[in-house]
Amino acid sequence: MIKEINDKDFKQEVVNSESTTVVDFWASWCGPCKMLSPVIDELAQELNGEAKFVKVNVDENPVASSEYRVASIPTVMVFKGGKVVETLVGFRPKQAIKTAIERHI
Amino acid sequence: MSKRYDIAIIGSGPAGLSAAINAKIRNKDAIIFGNKELSYKLSKAPKINNYLGFFDITGSQLKKAFKNHIEAMDINITEEKVNAVYAMGDYFAIMVNEKSYESKAIVIATGMEHSKPIRGEEEFLGRGVGYCATCDAPLYKGKVVTVIGYNKEAEEDANFVSELASKVYYIPMYRDKYGLNKSIEVVEDKPMEILGENLVNKLVLKNKEINTDGVFVLKDSVSPEQLVPGLEMEEGHIKVDKNMKTSIEGCFAAGDCTGKPYQYIKSAGEGQVAALNAVSYLNSKK
Ligand SMILES: Cc1cc2nc3c(=O)[nH]c(=O)nc-3n(C[C@H](O)[C@H](O)[C@H](O)COP(=O)(O)OP(=O)(O)OC[C@H]3O[C@@H](n4cnc5c(N)ncnc54)[C@H](O)[C@@H]3O)c2cc1C
Repeated sequence: MIKEINDKDFKQEVVNSESTTVVDFWASWCGPCKMLSPVIDELAQELNGEAKFVKVNVDENPVASSEYRVASIPTVMVFKGGKVVETLVGFRPKQAIKTAIERHI
Repeated sequence: MSKRYDIAIIGSGPAGLSAAINAKIRNKDAIIFGNKELSYKLSKAPKINNYLGFFDITGSQLKKAFKNHIEAMDINITEEKVNAVYAMGDYFAIMVNEKSYESKAIVIATGMEHSKPIRGEEEFLGRGVGYCATCDAPLYKGKVVTVIGYNKEAEEDANFVSELASKVYYIPMYRDKYGLNKSIEVVEDKPMEILGENLVNKLVLKNKEINTDGVFVLKDSVSPEQLVPGLEMEEGHIKVDKNMKTSIEGCFAAGDCTGKPYQYIKSAGEGQVAALNAVSYLNSKK
């Protein structure tokens, strides 16, 4: 299971993280988010040790989602050295997400 | 868990039908989505002289011949509109309103959507522009939202959004009586351009401008890249190689949606190539 983080620990878990960090912004009412979730789970296993994966529920964490301008979900962001290096809006096939992450590890 | 088909074919025009008969001949378990009319472009054609074997025929006669062919082969069309196809890795999830189907391979044969996007629509997609109001509405809580509606269903979505947003504008792209909540402001004007900096902040219409945080464009049919997120496009068409393979493994495309010329027999030919390569793909996975 991928760790759920929130507004309070976002900085520590993502911005200050040593490794490339993949953030999945989701919400319970979003159909495509449900479809993306198992894809992200699989990637987290495949890239175990190479990138860190976390999830942010946008309903419960408005600060992080507005700071990073999440205007549509699902949105997957890749952070490296505290900065956003990749933003994928909407559902994406597994291979496309993997390629985007691998560019930064 | 739902049944997993070998091949799902989306579209019931000549491309989709030709894919379906070839999948059947190869003994694959296929499902084909479309409508009883098969294709409006087929019933509308006054005279067809370039479909080999059928000289001087009308569109509805050719449609009849196609219908007889699929009926003789016991192929049934599932009369449902596919909203989205998700490439899950080793299978595809096909979303039809509240239902979903699964298949191992897929053939996109949806024809061509001729209405052009609004200037700025593609640029701001995901940054204020959206195609699913009910999906993204909660992100616009307390904000100003504009809904550009191409059909009656868009009115329901606008009503839903109006319960969350601080203000909703509705721009109808058709003429009718609108069943909208009182709080919604109807603007009968032509959208010209969506503007913004990082995010959308304005919609320019022919006669006025609206300050807005979000714009939802709600059409009848979706473009292939919305239908199959992640699908690579090339000049408005699905990018395919000569085997009708797309950028997504296991996903093939055929017919008008892959590019010009827009013709029946080209579509049927591509549908065949797509189906046969989908069959090879399935066999290689065994
Ligand atoms: C008036 C007219 C005359 C023409 N005359 C000729 C001619 O003489 N000769 C010639 O070669 N060509 C002619 N054409 C062109 C020809 O109609 C097209 O090239 C051909 O129909 C393309 O076939 P297709 O299978 O790719 O797509 P289409 O025929 O467009 O069929 C696609 C089908 O899929 C359905 N569909 C789309 N999206 C979905 C979805 N998400 N879920 C479920 N179903 C979906 C559509 O409703 C449609 O029924 C003519 C076209 C017109 C409009």
